[in-house]
Order: sequence, then structure tokens, then C-alpha cells
Amino acid sequence: MPNYALVAVIVGYLTMLFGLGIWAEKKSSSRWVHNPWVYALSLAVYCSAWTYYGSVGIAATKGISFLTTYLGPVVALPLWIIVLKRVVLISKQYQVSSIADFMSLRYGNNRSIGALVTGICVIAVLPYIALQLKAVSETFSILSTGQESQSLFTDSTFYIAILLAIFVALFGTRTVDASQGRSGLVFTVAVESLIKLVFFLIIGIYTTFYLFDGTIDIYNKMEDIKGFEKLITFQNIESTINWYFMIALSFFAIFLLPRQFQVSVIENTSASHLKKASWVFPLYLLLFNVFVIFIAWAGKLLLSEDLNPDYYTLYLPLEHGEKLLGLIVFLGGLSSVISMVVVSTLALSTMISNNLILPYGFLKALNDKNPKRNARRIKNIRRIVIFTLIIGAYFFYLNFNIELSLFSIGLIAFVIIAQLAPAFFIGLFWNRGSALAAKTGIISGFFIAFYTLILPFIADVFLKDSNFTSAGPFGIEMLKPYQLLGLNFMPPVTHAFFWSMVFNVMFYMIFSVLKKGNYRERNYAEMVVNAASYGALQENAFVWKGQANKSDIENVLTRFLGEKRTKRALDIFFRKYKIDPKQEQGDARLVNFSEKLLTGSIGAASAKLMIGSVVKEQPVTLVEVLKILEENKETIHANKKLQQQSYDLKRLTKNLQDANNKLIEQDKQKDDFLDTVAHELKTPTASIRAASEVIADSDDMPIELKQKFLNNIVKDADRLSILINNILDLEKLSSGREIMNKTENSLKMTIHKAKDGIYQLALKKGVDVEIRIVEDINLMYDEDRILQVFTNLLSNSLKFVPEKNGKIIINSKIDGEFVVLSFEDNGKGIPIEDIDYVFDKFYQSNNQTIKKPLGSGIGLAISKHIIESHNGIIYIDRQFVNGARFIIKLRIT
Amino acid sequence: MKKLLIVDDEPNIVMSLEYAFKKQGYLVFIARDGSEAIKIIDDELPDLVVLDIMMPKVDGYETITTLKKNPKFNDIKVIFLSAKSKTKNIEKGLRLGADLYFTKPFSVKKLIIAVNDLLKN
Amino acid sequence: MKKRHQQKLVILAIGLVILLNVPIIVIFNIPKAVFGIPVLYTYLFVVWFFSIIITYIIIKRHA
Repeated sequence: MPNYALVAVIVGYLTMLFGLGIWAEKKSSSRWVHNPWVYALSLAVYCSAWTYYGSVGIAATKGISFLTTYLGPVVALPLWIIVLKRVVLISKQYQVSSIADFMSLRYGNNRSIGALVTGICVIAVLPYIALQLKAVSETFSILSTGQESQSLFTDSTFYIAILLAIFVALFGTRTVDASQGRSGLVFTVAVESLIKLVFFLIIGIYTTFYLFDGTIDIYNKMEDIKGFEKLITFQNIESTINWYFMIALSFFAIFLLPRQFQVSVIENTSASHLKKASWVFPLYLLLFNVFVIFIAWAGKLLLSEDLNPDYYTLYLPLEHGEKLLGLIVFLGGLSSVISMVVVSTLALSTMISNNLILPYGFLKALNDKNPKRNARRIKNIRRIVIFTLIIGAYFFYLNFNIELSLFSIGLIAFVIIAQLAPAFFIGLFWNRGSALAAKTGIISGFFIAFYTLILPFIADVFLKDSNFTSAGPFGIEMLKPYQLLGLNFMPPVTHAFFWSMVFNVMFYMIFSVLKKGNYRERNYAEMVVNAASYGALQENAFVWKGQANKSDIENVLTRFLGEKRTKRALDIFFRKYKIDPKQEQGDARLVNFSEKLLTGSIGAASAKLMIGSVVKEQPVTLVEVLKILEENKETIHANKKLQQQSYDLKRLTKNLQDANNKLIEQDKQKDDFLDTVAHELKTPTASIRAASEVIADSDDMPIELKQKFLNNIVKDADRLSILINNILDLEKLSSGREIMNKTENSLKMTIHKAKDGIYQLALKKGVDVEIRIVEDINLMYDEDRILQVFTNLLSNSLKFVPEKNGKIIINSKIDGEFVVLSFEDNGKGIPIEDIDYVFDKFYQSNNQTIKKPLGSGIGLAISKHIIESHNGIIYIDRQFVNGARFIIKLRIT
Repeated sequence: MKKLLIVDDEPNIVMSLEYAFKKQGYLVFIARDGSEAIKIIDDELPDLVVLDIMMPKVDGYETITTLKKNPKFNDIKVIFLSAKSKTKNIEKGLRLGADLYFTKPFSVKKLIIAVNDLLKN
Repeated sequence: MKKRHQQKLVILAIGLVILLNVPIIVIFNIPKAVFGIPVLYTYLFVVWFFSIIITYIIIKRHA
């Protein structure tokens, strides 16, 4: 077929695709364009010229290993829904436009990760695109009858490359938002997928059933060929290990190749499409592979040995004079090339513009407020990148096309792309993975892959120096690039994959564990790892999700604003929004309002934090705070500030946490006090009630017993009323509402009054109470209150001194401007660990395992309040060991 | 004659309960705290224990825990009688294996009915 | 998608890793053919085919 005719066919075919794309774009919501089949078929962009031509080449020369490229995805597809659903969800929420974008998002919107991933992708994919051009060029020359051209401007491949670039530029850059779906483009990819499959099946059937008499016929004829066994079995255990790693390699590729990420994530229009794809796509791959071996064997049987086995698919019909069938094969191959090149360059151009050019330098140029011009500029950047990429690939092809097969370039691309796998996959499920670790892993892995795979290749091609490969650099055996550390039984690709992954994964894990990422990074990680729970968050118009108890929020506000202000503010709020104040659930408006209210007191970030702690019970989650800060971020400059703030925030969080703990402790104490009071009140009440019930129900009760029960009731009632009085007293004293009725009194007189009050009891117990007053002094005090203190001290002593020879001594002396009173007894004394606490209300000794109030627990607390109201102090003399000695110091004047 | 053990450190309450249950025809034992209670349970193997929670030395929770550990005491019914009236206390009491939980102040009549019921089954 | 269905799919993937790799594939490493398709290929295609069927069933059931 003459050159110009063939070029005309190509142009015609491209035009047809273009028209189809335009049509689909217009009908993007129609059933024909927006459906799961289109999505599933578009995934088949995976099958490039490598599949279409390369598989046959491998099947004819190396045997079964071509299948690994497809078995990886087969293993991956059941996991597809689980992994991709998460990725798709996050990508849609954050307008992710490429895998570089996604990974930089996961590691805290880390710019350098985005750039690094972009770099890795370009290095991997550019040769891969070159390989597609090589396939087009070679099939073109097989099919055409024209002269092989040596000059650039007459080389048809160059024009095909330019045509493809125009095609991508037209379709890929229609909108600025690269995360938007391009339904037209996806539709053409799906159509091409269908075309290449159908055409490949046609040639498969033609070969198997027209050229031969079915599969058994081919097999029987092949059995006579030397080395056939090598093609259908594994020869040794090494090749099975190789098999295993190759499957792992393609497993990663199906997720990570930029073009796969583009079609499966970015162009995904509905998460439900994933379901159909997860069985349609492996079926597609299966159909594609069924005839590969028969075409390969037919080629071996029928074609001359010096023809390139990669193109048996094309040679077979041509050698049998089937020109039309040959053209069909060519178009099928062209389809696989076009879709691969188009999607890859599109994905790469987006990455390069969004993750390299824009953030590193070009962002400033976009700062003026002219959205239209900015959009045009971004589009132009992308278009230039697209052309640069395709022309770059073309030159790569020109320089490297010598000996590499389709298969090996493809595999090198896979190994390089696989360097993203640890940071991508582990990062999806492990929130500890950090940006630093990701970078270290990727770079070290890439370095190893470069050294063990690319460097020897460059050395061979450019330096024509095979010493480097066969003897190692400087003759060091251990560093031989294909046999690192003497690992000598793996083929180069597997070997490189193995070592690079070992270093990549280990560095990633170790660095992640060694050094925590900053808070911002951790929060993004949290967001990705727990994508499911954050999904709902975004669907709310508010940056807040979950349920908040109104009373909880109120508590927080009260802590910082006080009760009065809180109540007033909430009243206004409820009236303003016409909300029923009795409603228990707070909504987003209340949360926002409370935050604003608090902001004045503790700053925006911590306000968010405090409210967040009651809303979600997870005070550390700062994603919301972060989002708000993020939205305000205008330039990269803000990043530095953000880091400072993150430090401040941490400190603040700690302070708040401490304050919070203290409050909780106080609350607990308050609760304990109330518990004790309740218990103290309930016990005598229960006793009274029980006794009364018993008396009421027993008419036949003996009179003495009845008397006893009645006495008990009286005692319990007394106990109750004393307790109530004490509690009221304490409440009055501690709130400062009780005013001391101070008059001038004789201290000696008051002490004697106190002694008289307990005299009867002391006499009964046989206790001697002695008063030693050196000199009398008149003081200003509330006599009733002071008397209450003295009586309390005396009756406590009475309780603890031994019967018969108990002794209580009251001493008084003047020490400078103080009167010092001491009340000492020869009782059992106060345990040293209790001394600090006996003045606390209802304090009960710790060495009693059980908290059981004795009813007097409140007396010392009251005494302390009274003495303090007189500007005095009361304490226990720790030196005194023969009993207890209480000291009261009152100021003279 | 069914045996009943009342464990409480409030003598007045104990007195009322002792009188009321004796009148119902029970053989009544008294303990003032958990350690005493365990001794009596071991010696007398009562059919039912009325147990306070806040007591000196060994409290009611500990007592019932010890009690439930020993399979010998499997059939002994336990009724808590406590001033602790928070849901969490009640839940704890029942979780530890008590059959009923009465809060103080309580009705002697209702307690008697409950005891009779428990011992009938 | 429910957790249980996800678990089924994960188990399927694990099963595929086991079935498609050493040592199990070595069992089929014999230079014979079934209907002109070598045993090793036949085995791989059958596993492949069944994985599609099982995925299809799990997903259909969920829907």
C-alpha cells in the first residue's frame, strides 16, 4: 500500500475518532456515553501496542511469561472496588487531577512529593510512549510499499506523532479544571478498546481456523519444532520466582500507571461503575489473550525466521496476500497506540502543569485577578507540555529504537512506576506513613532501579562498554548492576524490581516510624485512611459533622465565659434563629456560633478545638481547623506561617488539655461531695422510714421494744437535722454570705462556755478537761461561731480519747500579735497521711478501704471557714505525737 | 426455716429489718461488714443475703464478688440495699450477680415481698 | 458496599495469588495439551475465568 494512501487512512481514522469524541462530549449525559460499560472498556487503555503486538513476540520466543502482565490485574480486580472506591471518593472531594496530586494530598498537600511523583511518572512513561511510536512506525513500514525515510521531515512517524499531539491537545484541554471528566475522550478510548479487541480476535480466528485447522492442528505441528517445550512450561524454579515478581509488578501497574489512574479515577463519573468494571475488565483481558499463543505459533510455523516475532500478527495476513486483513490489524494496533498515547500524555501534562510548573514558579504569574487570562495560560501550558512530551518521546524513539523489544521497555516502565507503590498502597491504609518517608522510599527505590536497570542499558547503548555490566563498576563484583550483592539467578527486571522494592518499602516504613510527620500531614493522612467517615463530612454544607449535645457545648462556653455571659449569648442566639431552647441537639449553626463566641477568648484555632472536643470527643483531630486555614491560604508564603501556627496550636492544645483535666478533677470532687451528702441524708431517712413501718405494722409489739424503735427514730431525726444544719452552714460560710457578728469578748469566758457545753458528756466518759489560761485577753469575734469551733474540737477529742483516763488540755498564750490556742488530747491521734485533708468537707481517711462518712466529716471544714473568716488560721501540730493537737491562731487588734 | 443474712453497718436499720423478718418466720443473722458476712455465709449457708454497699473494711461489691466466686454459694440469693442510687451503681450491682437492688430509703413491706418471692422460686 | 462483600473479594484475591503462583502452578507444569491448549495455559485460563464468574456473582448479589 502506498505511503500517502496509508497516511490518508490514518488521518481518516483519527478524524472519525475525533468526530465520535465531539459527539460524545455533547451527549455526555446520554445512556450511550455515561454507562459502566464505557468505563470498563476505557480501562482497557491498559492494553497498548505492547499487548497488541508484544505479547505475540514473547509467546513466540520466551513462552508463557507474557501472561504475567495480565494476571497481575486479574488478582488486583477483586480488590479494585475496595481500594479504588476510597481513592475515587477522596479524589472527587479534593478535585484531584492525577496520581501525583493524589499522593501529594495524602502526604499533607506536600508540593515536593507531587513533583517527585511527576518526575517518576515522566521517566517511566516517556520511553513507554516512544515504544508506541516505534510500534506505529514499524507496522507502518511493514504495511507500506514506499521507501524507508531517513530524514525527519519525511518520516511518517513524526507526522503521526504530531497528529496525536494535536488530538490530545484538542481533547484534553477543553476545561482548565483537570479533575473534570472528559467524557468525549473516554468514549473514544472505550470505542478504541472495542476495536482493538475485535480486530485482534478476527486475526486470531483467521489464523487458528483459516490458516490452520483449529488449535489441535497447530499444537500437533508445533510439537515437532525444537524448543517447543520451553514455550509451554517453566524450565526451572528461577523462572517461577520470576513469574511471581512479574505478577506483582503488573498488579502495581494497574493501579499506578498514570493512564490507568486517569481513566479509573479521574474520569470515573460514578463509583457504581467500579462494580461492572471489576468483572468486565478481566474478561476483556482473557479474550485478548486466548489467541496469542496460536498467532505466535502460526508465525513460527509459517513465517521466515528473520522476521520480527513482535509483528507476526501483521505478517501473517500479509504473507497470505490478505491486504485488507493486514490493514485491519494495523488499525487495531493504531487504536491501542492512540488511546495509550492520548491518555498518557494527557495525564502527564496535567501532572507537569499542576505539580511542577504551576507550584514551582508560575503561580505568581497567575496572581492577578483575571480568571479568564489565567485559564488561557494554564491551557496553553498544558498544550505546550503535550507537544513537548510527544516530540520528546519521538526523539527517544529515534535514539533508542535499536535493540529494545516492546516488552522490555514496558517492563522498565513498570519497575519505575512500582516505586510509587509503597507510598501509595501503605499510605492508603496506614496513617503513620509520612511525607519524608515517602520521599526517601521513592528516591532510594528509584536510585536502585536506575542503577540496576537503566544505567547498564545506557552504558551498553552509549558507551558501548559492556565491562560495567559484566564485571561491575571498577571491577567490584558485588556491585554488578544485574547481580547486586551476588544475587545472580534473577533476570534483570525482576532483580531490579526486587532490590528497589526492598529498599523502598524498608525506608518508607522505617522513616515513618522514626519520625512523625507534622500535624498537617498527619491530618491529611487521617483523612485519607478514614475516607469513609470523612465522606459524609464533605456532603454537609458546613465544615462540621456529627451530633453535638447542646448542654455539652454550653458547658464548654461556661468554662471560658462564665455562666451569665453564656446564658445571655445563647438566649440571643436562640431568639435570633427561632430555635426552641429546650432542644437537646445542637446543629451546625450553634457550633459555628459557639466557636465565634469563644474565638474572642481563646483564639480561632483553639475555639475550634474546644468545640470540636465536645462535638466529636476527639480533641486532636484538626482537619477542620486545617481546612479553614487552607482556604485562606493564598500564597506559598502562608505555608511557613502555618508551620509556626501548628507549633502554637500544639502548645495551646496542651494548655487546654491541662486546664480541662483540672476541671474534670474539680468536677469529680464536687460529685464526690454530693454523693457523700446524699448518702448521709439517705441513711438516717431510711432508718426512720424502716422503723416507722415496722411499728405501724406490728400492733402486738411489746411496749419496751416499741420504745426502743421510737428512740432510734428520734436519734436518726436529730442526726438528720444536725447534718442539714451543718450543710447549710457550710454552704453559707463557703459562699461568703454569712456575715460574722463580731463583738468584743473575753476569750477565757468563751473557752469556759465551750467546756461547760461538753461537761456532761466528759463526766460520763470519765474524761478530764483542763484549761490553762496564762492571761485573759479581749478580742473582736462572733462568739457563737467561735464557740461552735471550740465545741467541735472538744467533742471530736471526746470521741477519740480513751474512757476513764482520757485527758483534754486547752492552752492559750500570746505570741507577738497573735493569740495561740491549742486543743490537745491523749487520743489515738491523726494518721500522718490524713493531716492535710481533715479540713476538707466529708474527708474520709484513705486507710479505711471504704468511704463511710462518720457524720462528723463536715465539722472541721466549718471550723476552718469560721476561723478564716476571723483572719485566723487553724492547723494540726505535726510534732505532737501523744494524741491530736489542734492550733488556732487569732490576730490581736 | 429459711435463713436470712442482713449485712449493714447502720444498727438502727438492722434492728428494724431483724424484727420484721423474724416476724415473717425467717432465721435472721446479722453482720456489720463484708468480712463478718463472709464468715457467717460460710458457717450458716443462708438462703438470702441483704447487702449494703458502703460499709467499713470490706464493702458490698467485694462481698458479692467473693461470694459469687465460690460455687458452693451458687444458690444464695443477694439483694443489694444501698443509698447509692445512680444507674451505674445499680448496673454494677446487678452485673456482679445480685438478684435485686433496693435503694435507700426503702419500703420494708416491698423488701419482704421481694424476699418471699425470691425464696419461693 | 458491605464489609462482608468486601471480605469475600479480599479472600478471592488471596485465593488468586495462591492459585496463580508457585508452588501450585508447578503441578500443571507438564508438556501436554487439552484441545490443543497446553495444560499450563488451560489451567491459568480456567482459574482466570472462574475468578471472573465469582467476582460477578459476589457483585450481583450485593446489588
